[in-house]
Amino acid sequence: MALLAQIVVSGVLLGGLYALMALGLALVWGVLNIVNLSHGALIMLGAYATYFLFTGAHVDPFAALPLAAAALFAAGYLIQRGILNLVIRGPMFNTLLITFGIEVILTYLAQLWFSADYRAINPRYAGSSYTFGGVTVPLVQALGFAIAIGLTAAMWLFLLHSRTGRGIRAAAQNLVAARLYGVDPKRIYALTFGLGAALAGVAGGLYGTVSQINPYIGGPLTAKSFVIAIIGGLDNPFGVVVGGLFLGIVESLTALYVGPTYRDVASFGILVLVLVARPSGLLGRTA
Amino acid sequence: MRAGNPARSAARWIALAAVVALLAALPWCGNAVLVQFGISALLLATLAQGWNIIGGYAGYPSFGNSVFYGLGAYGVAIAMAQYQLPFWVGMLLALGLGVAFAGLLGLAVLRLRGHYFAICTLGLALVMTAIVSNLPLAGGNIGLVLPLLGNAALFYELALGLLVLATLTVFWLARSRFGLGLIAIRENEEGAAVMGVNTTLYKVLAFMLSAAFTALAGGIYAYYITYIDPAGVFDLALNVKMIIMAVFGGPGSVLGPVLGAFILSVISEILATKVTSVASMFFGIVIVVAVVFMPRGISHLVAHVRQAGWRYFVDNVRAHRL
Amino acid sequence: MKRILFFLATVFLSAAAWAQPVTLGASVQLTGPVANTGRYYKDAYEFAVDRINAAGGVKVGAEQRKIALKILDNQSDVNLSVRQYVQLLGQDKVNFLLGPFASNFVLADSSVAEKNRVPMVQGGGASDQIYARGYRYIFGTLAAASDYFGSTIEAMTKLDPRPQTVALLYADDAFDVSVAQGTRELLKKAGLKTVLDERYSTNASDFAALLSRIRSTQADAVLVAGHETEVLNFVRQAKSLDVRPKLYSFTVGVPSADFRQALGKDANGASGMTAWLPSAQLKDRWFGDAERFAHAWKAKFGYEPDYHAASGVATVEALVNAIEAAGSTDPQQVRDALARVSFDSLYGRVAFNDKGQISLPQTMVQIQNDKVVPIYAAGAFINKLEYPLAPWGDH
Repeated sequence: MALLAQIVVSGVLLGGLYALMALGLALVWGVLNIVNLSHGALIMLGAYATYFLFTGAHVDPFAALPLAAAALFAAGYLIQRGILNLVIRGPMFNTLLITFGIEVILTYLAQLWFSADYRAINPRYAGSSYTFGGVTVPLVQALGFAIAIGLTAAMWLFLLHSRTGRGIRAAAQNLVAARLYGVDPKRIYALTFGLGAALAGVAGGLYGTVSQINPYIGGPLTAKSFVIAIIGGLDNPFGVVVGGLFLGIVESLTALYVGPTYRDVASFGILVLVLVARPSGLLGRTA
Repeated sequence: MRAGNPARSAARWIALAAVVALLAALPWCGNAVLVQFGISALLLATLAQGWNIIGGYAGYPSFGNSVFYGLGAYGVAIAMAQYQLPFWVGMLLALGLGVAFAGLLGLAVLRLRGHYFAICTLGLALVMTAIVSNLPLAGGNIGLVLPLLGNAALFYELALGLLVLATLTVFWLARSRFGLGLIAIRENEEGAAVMGVNTTLYKVLAFMLSAAFTALAGGIYAYYITYIDPAGVFDLALNVKMIIMAVFGGPGSVLGPVLGAFILSVISEILATKVTSVASMFFGIVIVVAVVFMPRGISHLVAHVRQAGWRYFVDNVRAHRL
Repeated sequence: MKRILFFLATVFLSAAAWAQPVTLGASVQLTGPVANTGRYYKDAYEFAVDRINAAGGVKVGAEQRKIALKILDNQSDVNLSVRQYVQLLGQDKVNFLLGPFASNFVLADSSVAEKNRVPMVQGGGASDQIYARGYRYIFGTLAAASDYFGSTIEAMTKLDPRPQTVALLYADDAFDVSVAQGTRELLKKAGLKTVLDERYSTNASDFAALLSRIRSTQADAVLVAGHETEVLNFVRQAKSLDVRPKLYSFTVGVPSADFRQALGKDANGASGMTAWLPSAQLKDRWFGDAERFAHAWKAKFGYEPDYHAASGVATVEALVNAIEAAGSTDPQQVRDALARVSFDSLYGRVAFNDKGQISLPQTMVQIQNDKVVPIYAAGAFINKLEYPLAPWGDH
């Protein structure tokens, strides 16, 4: 029983991190209709940014998260403004391809700059944990979970109540109408992609405190993010959270009851099944 | 090849036949490296051509073609390594596996459009890697070792034959009712249905045809490389490569994907052997540049750049930028 | 006059032949996911060739020839590496092949050597599968995968209190499955009870479920056969879930410098094994001894060598020894000479069995105070093992 409880708790904590990873992807997909295959590479860059702030400038990893987010926001803004805005009215398939190209380039640059060495963000308190009735809760993962939920709520409020947030939602629904209301699409698109990248940056920093980092972690993280975005749908940030938690728990239970090599069968199997059965997401509105 | 000019059309056919004959004679020029490169380039061209059927003509951007490739490779590997059957039996198994899988899955996933179709087929590729790495029959994640055959010329001719077959099929397709139906689906699926095209049937058939060539290419590859594992043959990067080659050459054209595959293979091979350090970034840069400046591929570029000059690229950017 | 011309021509030709180097070729992972370990091989090949050339090169029959090296980057892509080996033989006309890193690459690439009947000596793949195919042109300097935990299990039976239960975890690739198969038999022979025997996916990043099961089975010792990235994640997550068995041991990572760097203090207590330690006992014709080799390596490349590095150097030395023994660069003769070769090197005694594989005992090592300390080898403890491990909180 303690084993099952521990597995579920681990799954939930993992799920929180998953949700944060997928949040940026879902935002960009929902608003810009860009399926960003370079999302995982942006997570990777966020992890490196946090790592170097921690090891180089001795900034606490959690204090470094906003800085990593800012750096990634700038990178995302430039990528959208300089490259993606050039092709966004082409066939949607072209935007998919071009983000893959960006992923290849970012991964290569990371390997060039940071080498393929394995790194870990390892502050003194990284391994601390609290045990309640036989269930261990790692401190860092609990903090990460709280940040994930907090950022989701903040984003929901931002989209709903701020002027820019309303602009983003307007652009997502009808670009022509949004233009009439004085929204500058170039700017709003770049802002949205920058926000997505910033979220990826935070997710990357948190990822680095639980896992090792190397330039090639991006691909699998992009794939995981897809699964979550598909489960949760693109309409509502909280859907993504539920999707993340769902995937985290399913993966953990699969590893326990079926076997650790079946994790990917479970998560990508869910992706395919959900798409075939309910393309708008398990939680999304039907199209 | 316009119908109105039979002399010109005949000349083109003769030129193409000469190119194929030259290519077929290549193993006898005695350059082993060139043959080896040829096998790889011809297989890639076949993959690009296979993708062209579903992606270029029907307009369904499949990320699942690497699944067919992997199934083909495993068909041959399982037949030869696990049951000691001859190669051609393995090829039949490869063909059967690929086509059957495409038929069954096509019914389910071809109902999805656009991004959802792309992501779903991408998920299929990932799930197949995970399933096969748990299958004892397929050697699990360790993979299978095939018997060794040192005859590079044979693999070369097989790959060339398959490419010619695939290209002739696409040539026929482009002129057939079936092909026109696919183009109609690509341009406007609802409209095609109204016009009386059985869209589901057409799409599934296109998927199966695409799978047939892809699986056979995978089968040839398995025997040629002698060792396969799930990550190696259900490789998403390979799927992206075939898409890039088709898109670079010109999706929805007969010779574009072949041309694209050859050009990109040559450049990437030169980079991989001469300037090894940047070679791994090469495809990334090609993708970005090609999508921005020539999104309709080389064949469109060749047809239009002479009149438009540099404005061709500027116009492309203008047409698609925000 | 004619005679003089003839004489001059002969001198010229033989001088030209003298200047003609013996070329070795390899395709190594310099970029891509396994570039981290791939670089050991590039550095090892270059270092070994430099030293051998500085000492005059290789003696082929009566003439002294230099060695040239051609290294290509396979971008961690098996496909490309096979093509590059074909190119090395067909276009670059290299005389002999050195191997890539990792068993799956060796499995595919060695077929090129076999097809062309040119020997490949490789120091990067240890899976038993490589040698089970009856190939004649592949020789390997890594110890057999099935025996990786040999010294560790032997040491475990001599511990007080003796560990009773063992958990065995392994990645699902060629090398680690071979390790697991061998380890199961060793455990049975040692009379240790296996309470958990689980395969996980290569590149797994979340070990919470496995760690929870280790805790619930209360295994005394945990043996993990996997890759460095997985082992790093395993140790970090073990700490954060407060799982600390009395002993844990890993097939990879422990001897290498970047493992300790990534984990910092948390690396302490991790055991592993190495077939090579930089000891002054290991004499070498070109480098003096293994200790001096390690210093020279650190000075040249800025990081410490581990057994991958030594194994890579040993492959070059094995080829050079075989060429000298054969007195020729004929691939067939050198292959036969390789099969008979037997010499002492900085890596240990290099001699191949009839399958082409080397036999080397593993030394159990443990990280203590941020240093790799040899613990157990050849039936005896060298240093004291930290056992049972102190709980995480006490660090």
